[in-house]
Amino acid sequence: MNKGKVWKYGDNVNTDVIFPGKYTYVLMEPEEMAKHALEDLDPGFAAQVKAGDIIVAGRNFGCGSSREQAASCLKYAGVQAVIAVSFARIFFRNAINQGLPVVQSEKAVRNISAGEEVEVDFESGQIKAEKGTFKFHALPDSVLNILQAGGLIEYTKLFIKNDGT
Amino acid sequence: MGYTIIEKIIRGHTDEEVRAGEIVWLDLDVRSARDFGGPNVVKNFCREFGDTPVSDRSKTFFTFDLCVPACTLQYADNQQVCRDFARAKGFKVFDVDEGIGSHVLIERGLAASGSTVVGTDSHMNILGAVGCFGQGMGDVDITFAFKTGKIWFQVPESLKVFVRGEPSSGFSAKDLTLYIVKQLGTKKAALKSVEFYGEAVRKLSISGRITLCSMVTEMAGIIGFIPEFKDSVASEIKSLSGEEFNHPYADKDAVYSDAITIDIDGLGPQVAAPFLPTNVKDVGDLEEVKIDSGFIGCCTNGRFEDLKAAARVLKGKKVKDGVMLKIVPATRKVYKQLLEKGTLKDLFESGAIISNPGCGGCAQGHIGLTGKGEVQISTGNRNFEGKQGKGQNYLASPAVVAASCILGHIAGPEDI
Repeated sequence: MNKGKVWKYGDNVNTDVIFPGKYTYVLMEPEEMAKHALEDLDPGFAAQVKAGDIIVAGRNFGCGSSREQAASCLKYAGVQAVIAVSFARIFFRNAINQGLPVVQSEKAVRNISAGEEVEVDFESGQIKAEKGTFKFHALPDSVLNILQAGGLIEYTKLFIKNDGT
Repeated sequence: MGYTIIEKIIRGHTDEEVRAGEIVWLDLDVRSARDFGGPNVVKNFCREFGDTPVSDRSKTFFTFDLCVPACTLQYADNQQVCRDFARAKGFKVFDVDEGIGSHVLIERGLAASGSTVVGTDSHMNILGAVGCFGQGMGDVDITFAFKTGKIWFQVPESLKVFVRGEPSSGFSAKDLTLYIVKQLGTKKAALKSVEFYGEAVRKLSISGRITLCSMVTEMAGIIGFIPEFKDSVASEIKSLSGEEFNHPYADKDAVYSDAITIDIDGLGPQVAAPFLPTNVKDVGDLEEVKIDSGFIGCCTNGRFEDLKAAARVLKGKKVKDGVMLKIVPATRKVYKQLLEKGTLKDLFESGAIISNPGCGGCAQGHIGLTGKGEVQISTGNRNFEGKQGKGQNYLASPAVVAASCILGHIAGPEDI
């Protein structure tokens, strides 16, 4: 994967600050959703984020409601991956289902600073950053296949084609 | 190295290596959606897969239980969207008359021991009560499940919980459950499969097993299992499904993340005070709490045995003037039992309101929200702020709710 600029946040970044609840039943278009990504956490994010940027955060990223837009708005904003110490269960599922790569590495989070450029290699399970290379438990092929397809819906289409069912 | 219960069930439904932490493709024996989530599944399916069939219509179901019969136009529309879709694809709808979806699946033998079931209900893990791996999921996951019969899943770690001690005579399955929620909080069982052991859980009836397993969600766990049981439980489940009840067991050398012992010696009725299910106290330790309303039902306490326990307290007594008691049986089958055994009459004559089966009273949308300032005692599983309106909710057993409604303040059945 290409290098991406890091946006760094703390623990317990919840789904309300990732994608405000007031928009969950209103906004449907990807471009519109991207404009409100992280609105209540970092109002400057949506305007400045570039395709390929990477979010680095602490524990329990994505806690709170089950809204799938929390993952999809980050994807539509161009975020290449989220690296966190840990993820909330439902966000973790939603991110993979939406085709947004998620990586768990406490060591990487501790050693990466806001604004630096890092590179994530999903197949070898490595993050290359200024302070060194950090290994993570690589996602299994089954999940990588979903991510490479662009999410669970796209993956289903491939799955059906290959399986002939 | 042996396998835990959840690992054994998953091993039976995938060809991949199964160990805690691994992500595998899981074959599903049943995939379902409710009147909440279901309409989005239909929308996703029609947009992406158009006129193509679901993967196996005999394993695909809608279960309407949230707003039954519909009390808003939106729900009415949504339910009709689902009905039309099911008719077109040729699969069954357990419609607005049937009751709570997870309970209907148990009663119809669709949640067999060792099987896998998903649905759009965060309490689908209730199926652990009958040795089935049930799991609630979002509408993208369920769309995929409808189309392929599979889901990806990370094999959870397992936690062993031993319950020891002899509680006092009025200690019900709900009191046991609330006390375990208090002891485990939302961290110790988080993201884990919990295996419960010990005489107090082995003695539970099916309805007691359902009560305990339903609140694993409030412990932040994935699912709960009770692998030891009375013969009567096995024969009752066999009579529902028509198949032998073969609860999966864990190997002796299975690997657990932790083992916790919980002592219930001498305990009496428990109550969870607002606004957290973990905020559990002995009823006797509460200052006097006056109540405006009571609710008995929901997936945690809506079985016949639960309503019978309430009727034993209410029979020949009256709900206190100014207090309303709302009762919602879990399913139509429970309703029939109430009718046939005369329990419905006892409940009615006490002054209770008895509604048709469903999730009403717990999920917002039917029978009785609470207003600002209203204090309610409920057999539900969640008392978060706003969960059932603007009032304050206390969680307790059916007998405690019944006793409280007679006295007008929170009390145990022994206070009557």
